[in-house]
Amino acid sequence: MAGKKVKDHPKDEMVQDDRLQAIVLTDSFQTRFMPLSYDKPRCLLPLANVPLLEYTLEFLAKAPVKEVYLVCSAHASLISEYIEASKWNLPWSPFKVFTIMSPEARSVGDAMRDLDNKGVITGDFVLMSGDAVTNLDFDKFWDFHKKVHAKDKDHIVTTCLSKATQFHRTRAFQPACFILDKSDNRCLYYQEIPLPSSKLKTSVEIDPDLLEGVDEFVLRNDLIDCRIDICSPLVPAIFQENFDYQMLRSDFVKGVLSSDLLRKHVYAYITEEYAARVESWQSYDSISQDFIGRWCYPLVLDSNLMPDQTYSYESSHIYKEQGVVLAQSCKIGKCTAIGSRTKVGESALVENCVIGRNCYIGSGAIIRDSHIWDNTIIGNNSVINHSIIASDTKLGTNVVLNDGCIIGFNVVIEDGKELPRGVRINGTPVKNLEDNGFGLSEDEQPEEAPKNTDLEIAFEFCGSKGRGYLYEDPLSEDELDSPIGEEMISGLSHRLDEVYLSDNSISSVTKSKKKRTMSTNSVYTDREDDPTEYEDEEDFGIEGVATVKRAIENNHDLDTALLELNTLRMSLNVSYHDVRTVTVIALLDRVYHFIATQTLGPKDATNKVFARWGPMFRREAFDPEEYIDLMDVLMEQVVLQDLEKRDLILFSAFNTLYDSDILEEEIIYSWWAHVSKDPKFDDVKKVVAKWVEWLQEADEESSDEEEEEEESEDENDNEVGSEDDR
Amino acid sequence: MSLPSSAHSSIVTINSSDINVTIEHFIARLKRHQIDGPYAMALETLQLLKRFISQARWSHVSELIEKIRQLANRLEKAQPTAFACGNVIRRILAVVRDEEEEELRSNSPQAASSSVAEPMISSMFNLLQKPEDNQQKQQQQQKQQKQRSTKTRTDFRQVAIQGIKDLIDEITNIDDGIQQIAIDLIHDHEILLTPTPESKTVLKFLLKTRERSNRRFTVLVTEGFPNNTAKAHEFAKKLAQHNIETIVIPDSAVFALMTRVGKVIIGTKAVFINGGSITSTSGVSAVCECAHEFKTPVFAVAGLYKFSPLYPFDVEKFVEFGGSQKVLPQMDPEHRLDTLNSITDYVPPENIDIYITNVGGFAPSFIYRIAWDNYKQVDVQLEM
Repeated sequence: MAGKKVKDHPKDEMVQDDRLQAIVLTDSFQTRFMPLSYDKPRCLLPLANVPLLEYTLEFLAKAPVKEVYLVCSAHASLISEYIEASKWNLPWSPFKVFTIMSPEARSVGDAMRDLDNKGVITGDFVLMSGDAVTNLDFDKFWDFHKKVHAKDKDHIVTTCLSKATQFHRTRAFQPACFILDKSDNRCLYYQEIPLPSSKLKTSVEIDPDLLEGVDEFVLRNDLIDCRIDICSPLVPAIFQENFDYQMLRSDFVKGVLSSDLLRKHVYAYITEEYAARVESWQSYDSISQDFIGRWCYPLVLDSNLMPDQTYSYESSHIYKEQGVVLAQSCKIGKCTAIGSRTKVGESALVENCVIGRNCYIGSGAIIRDSHIWDNTIIGNNSVINHSIIASDTKLGTNVVLNDGCIIGFNVVIEDGKELPRGVRINGTPVKNLEDNGFGLSEDEQPEEAPKNTDLEIAFEFCGSKGRGYLYEDPLSEDELDSPIGEEMISGLSHRLDEVYLSDNSISSVTKSKKKRTMSTNSVYTDREDDPTEYEDEEDFGIEGVATVKRAIENNHDLDTALLELNTLRMSLNVSYHDVRTVTVIALLDRVYHFIATQTLGPKDATNKVFARWGPMFRREAFDPEEYIDLMDVLMEQVVLQDLEKRDLILFSAFNTLYDSDILEEEIIYSWWAHVSKDPKFDDVKKVVAKWVEWLQEADEESSDEEEEEEESEDENDNEVGSEDDR
Repeated sequence: MSLPSSAHSSIVTINSSDINVTIEHFIARLKRHQIDGPYAMALETLQLLKRFISQARWSHVSELIEKIRQLANRLEKAQPTAFACGNVIRRILAVVRDEEEEELRSNSPQAASSSVAEPMISSMFNLLQKPEDNQQKQQQQQKQQKQRSTKTRTDFRQVAIQGIKDLIDEITNIDDGIQQIAIDLIHDHEILLTPTPESKTVLKFLLKTRERSNRRFTVLVTEGFPNNTAKAHEFAKKLAQHNIETIVIPDSAVFALMTRVGKVIIGTKAVFINGGSITSTSGVSAVCECAHEFKTPVFAVAGLYKFSPLYPFDVEKFVEFGGSQKVLPQMDPEHRLDTLNSITDYVPPENIDIYITNVGGFAPSFIYRIAWDNYKQVDVQLEM
């Protein structure tokens, strides 16, 4: 399939310039569309009854692109099957489509390196993801690129940014700040800013050298980055050289811009046309509404871009295909699309919805703001609010789906069930992310793979005769304890964004869920309004972990590491508890690193790391209470980080600390006496329990035998303990 | 002339061997709205049709007609709010049907006499009285014709292609015909208002008048917010370059200025048989309504190829809607307000005083006669 059967094109005048190639990354390398992306690749999920990939290809069809390469990793066979059967494979397709399998790619960087190895790219190419929805005028973009290219020889990438209004819904997903040269839109610097909901302090740090020779620059965060770039053939080579580049923006663009060696330039083409990416369920929802609202004109549903579609448009944005059967008393509200052979029963209400083909909406059903894919049956008097229901699903009568439910393929839900907000159910159990070929997310860390606890049918939601498995986002588990409460589960989208955030930094616990504050002009104002104490903590969490990690990686001596940590502690004014937490996190991370790379077993790794770095705790804890706290923290973090063999790790950590005299027996006993009874700690406590028992026994024995020699007691114990251990 | 020919060549380069590929490619471009304006669309359609007919095979002319109808149906469906494709193909169909009739008449004089006589009788009676008769006759005719077809058959391919060539000629020279009339219509020191700045016909109409008659007149151009503002400015600039006094006015000022306006000139995208028309700027309808109120004459300029034999029963189906963010860009994500942004506009016949076409000026109530001169009633509905 790796198509290098490049046909020669009989267009003599176009040869040097217009034989443009396009690379479409069909995989997002993310898990944000779980559980539906478990069964189908994200780019084939329908948006407004059209597979997402079609929007990208339609955009490219208007461009002078002659060859399109789809880079597939997850579900690659499904994508290539789809393409083979589609109109893009017919002789009148404006370009040739090739699918490139690169199943081992785990990030954009990997995909680019793979492309470079395959030698596919011959000239300038369009690089975009397979989930963009846009009505961008490619010709203008292309002209801009050519103009800039003629002027600036170091220019390697032109990126397309769409200007968004303040309230634009699609801009909130990946806020980033671009610093542009005002005169020619050269991109000087790029920085991602944390989501507003994360409450992190935002600051943009620019190296003054970058601004040298720039008269005037603008700093913008009002731009939607739709990830449509025109790249010169140098780009894959740069990825090749810098094998650590993973992400297109945060690694590559930032790296290129701040590198002294490369001296390459990135330009931004700013347009006011519609351009957005379907990145999360929230953006899925809003882009679908925009599309139905004809924002993407002339790319509209009633153009019937799929060969078998027969949509016609009626006022107030109602689209109906031929063969829709509507009962006389049903009400079809604004902004609705209904596929053919769908039946809507008596006095049903459908508003702001997209409904696929062959669906049956029972009488009296009320459906609002929802997306219902093909072949779905919705029983009488069901109420569906702001949910997504995938194909071949059957809902009984009187089912209520509250805001933000996502129902996967082939789910059956019995009569009369009510699903709370934000429940996600899939027809097939989503087992382990690594088994299913979708474990290709760069964000996902294997330690966060879900435990197989949810594999039984979710009777609670589907009923005894129903079919469906509850999907818990593996990343959200650690957050359930945090005081997020119900605000967290505020619809299909918000929730997911929160979740996404949480996996960037392990320690960041989202404290509260606030809607985006509406400030576009200043990057700072967002957060200055509500100076909460969390900010510092959050900041410290990330910074502290980074500091300790750095120390470990570069093998600093203890003093330097502690000095840095202390400086950070004082500048942010946080407690020693936090310092201990970050140290523990960093150390555990290191342990995990050893295990993951299989250099050491869990026990040896823990021993090694804690023996070397454990002494840090001496300068972070000063009285018994604080040591007890340290043990609590350690246990908590071991559980939170969901490591493999965490009981063993916890035990080894305690033992090592005990061996190196950081934890004293008394402390361990009193900790054990007051240890949290929370059931989630139960399994990690098992090994520790034995250890404590053993300690106590050894203690008694030694005190029996050597009553007089109390001073040397500890040491003896240590020796005995460590001998037994090894 | 140069524009469509270059566009056409681009189709050919895609794949010149297979006509089906060319058709599908053309349909795809129609769906993507890649063909700009009815003028280019009409010419490209004719080029396509020419190739289609020259490659088509048929044993009887009715087969050819059926094939052309199918093609027209597909093109019309590809972009239902573009009428030029359907119009020009229906014109060619009419040419072929005329020729067929002609042949019948020459072959069987007795049948011919009746078929000539029939259209003269008032149609109502006809409808009620003799449908079976008519059908039988036609069947007979066809039988007769089939018997003879091997011997005497006019070259329909030649006829159709000649028809296409004539039509291309007509379309490319359309502006000349219109301009001839223009000179008599515009007076010295008159104030004109045009709400359709993207119409090339209107532009040429004005420029020619200025050139030929050397009359001084003022043109008010409405801004056409939000879709056409840039075009309006460009249009005004072109007029100003030709020493025509031009003023761009906001759309809201039309009512205030209408008292001073001598004539309103609008361009059209399609003209229906009731005399109403679709214009390619939203807001034209309001301007015409206003002109009607003030009894200011409204002149609509239209080439003959824009006449459509359809009747606008459901105006909504014919008007095109664009992206609503242009009207109301700022949107609170939680409380969405969807607005409608119509790109084209329907002007009812009572608000138009006269159509200026390349074959002369007509009242809207007379448009149906012109249409039936060029189209056949049987071809109005292309769907099977």
